[in-house]
Amino acid sequence: MIQLNNIEKYYANKGIKNYVLRLVTTTIKQGEFVSIMGPSGAGKSTLLNIIGMLEEPTYGSYEFLGEDVTSLNERKRIELYRNHIGFVFQAYHLIDEMTVYENIEAPLLYKKVGSSERASRIADLLDRFNIVAKKDLFPNQLSGGQQQLVGIARALAAQPSIILADEPTGNLQSAQAEEIMTLFKKLNQEDGITIIQVTHSEKNAQYGNRILHIADGVVKEDVAILS
Amino acid sequence: MFKLNLKIAWRNLWKNKGYTFINILGLSIGMASCILIFIFIRYQLSFDENFKNENRIYRVISGWTTPDNFFESAGTPRPLPAAMRNDFKQQFDKVAAIQASGGIIKVKDESGKERIKTSESVHYAEPDFFEILSFKWLDGNPRQSLSQPNTVVLSDEMADKLFGDWHKAVGKSVNFQNKVDLKVTGIIEKTPDNSSFPLKVIISYKTYLNQARPESTNWGTVSSTSECYVLLKEGASIEDASKSLPQFITKYYKRDNVSKESHRFQQLRDIHYNADLGNFANKVMPKKELYGLAIIGAFLLLTACINFINLATAQAVSRGKEVGVRKVMGSLRRQLIVQFLTETLTITVISLLVGCVLTEVALPGMQSLFKDHISFSIIEHPIIFVFMVILVLLVSFLAGFYPAMVMSGYSPALAIKNKITANAAGLSLRKILVVVQFAITIILIIGTLVVLRQMSYMREKPLGFIPTAVALVDVPSDSMAITRYHTLQDQINKIPGVLSTSYCSAAPSSDSNNESNFRYNGTVKSTFQANTKTGDENYFKTFGLEIIAGKGLSKSDTIKDIVVNETMLKKLNVVNYNDAIGKSIRINDKTGYIIGVVKDFNNMSLHEPISPIVINSDKESYTTIAVKLDSKSILPAMQAIEKIWNTVLPEYVYGSTFMDDKISEYYQTEKIMGALFKVFAGVIIFISFIGLFGLISFVATQRTREVAIRKVLGASTLELVKMLNGSFLLMVFVANLVAWPLAYLFVAKWLATFTYRIDLNIWPFVFAMIISMVITLITVSIRSYKAAVTNTIDALKYE
Repeated sequence: MIQLNNIEKYYANKGIKNYVLRLVTTTIKQGEFVSIMGPSGAGKSTLLNIIGMLEEPTYGSYEFLGEDVTSLNERKRIELYRNHIGFVFQAYHLIDEMTVYENIEAPLLYKKVGSSERASRIADLLDRFNIVAKKDLFPNQLSGGQQQLVGIARALAAQPSIILADEPTGNLQSAQAEEIMTLFKKLNQEDGITIIQVTHSEKNAQYGNRILHIADGVVKEDVAILS
Repeated sequence: MFKLNLKIAWRNLWKNKGYTFINILGLSIGMASCILIFIFIRYQLSFDENFKNENRIYRVISGWTTPDNFFESAGTPRPLPAAMRNDFKQQFDKVAAIQASGGIIKVKDESGKERIKTSESVHYAEPDFFEILSFKWLDGNPRQSLSQPNTVVLSDEMADKLFGDWHKAVGKSVNFQNKVDLKVTGIIEKTPDNSSFPLKVIISYKTYLNQARPESTNWGTVSSTSECYVLLKEGASIEDASKSLPQFITKYYKRDNVSKESHRFQQLRDIHYNADLGNFANKVMPKKELYGLAIIGAFLLLTACINFINLATAQAVSRGKEVGVRKVMGSLRRQLIVQFLTETLTITVISLLVGCVLTEVALPGMQSLFKDHISFSIIEHPIIFVFMVILVLLVSFLAGFYPAMVMSGYSPALAIKNKITANAAGLSLRKILVVVQFAITIILIIGTLVVLRQMSYMREKPLGFIPTAVALVDVPSDSMAITRYHTLQDQINKIPGVLSTSYCSAAPSSDSNNESNFRYNGTVKSTFQANTKTGDENYFKTFGLEIIAGKGLSKSDTIKDIVVNETMLKKLNVVNYNDAIGKSIRINDKTGYIIGVVKDFNNMSLHEPISPIVINSDKESYTTIAVKLDSKSILPAMQAIEKIWNTVLPEYVYGSTFMDDKISEYYQTEKIMGALFKVFAGVIIFISFIGLFGLISFVATQRTREVAIRKVLGASTLELVKMLNGSFLLMVFVANLVAWPLAYLFVAKWLATFTYRIDLNIWPFVFAMIISMVITLITVSIRSYKAAVTNTIDALKYE
């Protein structure tokens, strides 16, 4: 599903190249649950951003679903966002002016899903995440865990084939974190959604089935977890 | 403390260079416009100031009430001043007559050779006139200088022109109109530009009486050139004097006239502002228009201040942390307000300096528009400096106070945690301000469109005659000159390029009009007055007038044939124009017979309806020879005409104008209005839209995160631009709805001053809406597009 070949990323500063990623080559298959781990500043987020096409690599090639997306035009990229990729952020990034319901609805509107279809999908998600009662509340009226649930519901609304999560539990208490991770695992196993997460926590990484250890921009270890 | 505030203000302004630039640009343009308007209004209000006793000086106005009309003139019957002096001894200190006229002044050198020949406007004045209005006398005094016939007082400028140096002028003599020699007995200082009394040559009134004109004892004739001024006794009231007027009128006026005479007293300081009555200087500026300008100035300033408030409150959020820290460190709210006001003051002062430069740049354009010397010298008029200080303080307060209150009001705990967001109340205030700002802008756009359309309508409207390529050449009307009329016309007709010539008293459309009572077909006196014009047999051909019944005038030196216009017959209830042919008209004590009817033509400006008109021949009343030229050879023909004129009439001074120019002079005020509207509408549009750009910049910055989230959710650039633009377009649309009814009231009122006007339809309104929406769309899209394509990842980094 995802094929990275010799991905490099550096920032040139006064002629000196500051490498963030060096010669990263890896393949991620459909249905995998990958955790990217490493110390601060190792390049985890940058790698995730490159996978999510939020950043472009300086060098190297990237194939998504068999298509070279190293430098993709905007329309094609939006097409991928609408149909294949869901994002989950550490800071949730819900839109403050919109209710829970409206936040979940937003990607469906961009995908131009019909209104009855939209309503049924949102109802389904609210139901599944037990947040039906919260649907008319605004994000600042929810706890962090609840906000992150809405964030995940929003990411799932467009029925993506892959979810990219950047420290999804970084701002949460451990009980809530556990809940979110269990949910990810369930999504991965029951719905077959590919999940790539960046995390600091060894414990969270155990929910997945593969760990990429990164340090100083280089993949040091690629470990499969046998459950 | 103040110095520190100033330093911090400076750094903050520097940090937000973009917003600072927008603020300064908008404010300085707004302030420059205000300064221009202020110095213009100051100049206009300075007219006729500094006369001693100005509150006790009045001009006598004559009025006539006819069955269907009332009109007034600044002139009085010539015997009136003497009678008033006699009858109002109780109320008035002084009563004085002044008569405006013009003529040829010649100066001979020692050997008796003619040295200077010039045509000048002159005034005949009684000595008392100078005791009422205090002019500065450089030599002589009114009592002595103007009490004898054949004496003249010159302004120093005129004396310099005639004698080289005014010190040498007194005692010398000048020749006037080839008739009398006048002895120079006094010199007055040149009257300033802002005076309604442009006196250059003042001849003693006794000289005027000596010329023994029949009308000098006639109560029935009034010319606007003979005015009468009075000086009220100290302690007396003008109301008391007015009460004696009816008695005065019964005593002197014959009672059998159709129209009823009346008089009133006009204050000296009203003379410059009353457009209906006019004055010797021909400079009038209705107060109404000054108010209009002041309102536009206030609008401009308001728009600029709104920009400032909008940008400042929008930016306020980013200052939240600073406010919090300062409060924690022990700053009082008052101190914070002072700090923020210092920043506003800094911007305002910089704007004022830039504004002064802009004023200086725009001043020549303004002076040529108003044809007046308007001064922007702070030393000459310290009031301008006072105005600028008030302007700065007012703008600083108006623009700075609200944002300062908002910012200083943040709670420190929230502010430090960066939890301050642009609250909803602030946003809605901003929205209201934007709507107000754009409503003003749209009203001005609509106003401009309507004024411009009315102007072009007036330019293009057929007037009933052809004014193009017609030269109006003055001819003297004394008996000596009349004997040479034939020669002059014959020779001019021979010039190549001259198509036809006609002697006449006035062109079909003219600002010099005579109205007379008349009898039609031997009946009693008419209930209305007819506008009389005289011309020779070529009058109709020369001006392209169309005869629709009967025929034009035949060759005659006195009244015999009469041509009337359609309006005349309509007012006389004559339906079939041919019925009128052959009927008699007795007018000015002479009788003629109608031989033709001319199609209606506009005989005054399009403000006025068409008058009933009587045209006949009368050699002695001609003042002009109208020359219709081939438009290709105007220049050589005019040179030839001048040459011939000077050979035939060497004793006189040549003068000419073009018909087109005369007509466009009617609309001088409208032309100025149009130009002002265009300029100020442009300025206000500019200010509003840079304000809008500033605001959208801010909104875009504030919504960066939202834009980024929506992008990763799959929103396209177009959808994002649409989202950011939406509320702005809505605001401008609402502003349109607010502006339309107000604009309708304004333009309908303005158009009502024209008898001939465009129909007010929806197009200027729709057009203003389209303009405002399109410009908004462009302004806003530039910025929101930039926001929509920025790098997503920067906005989504963790806080």
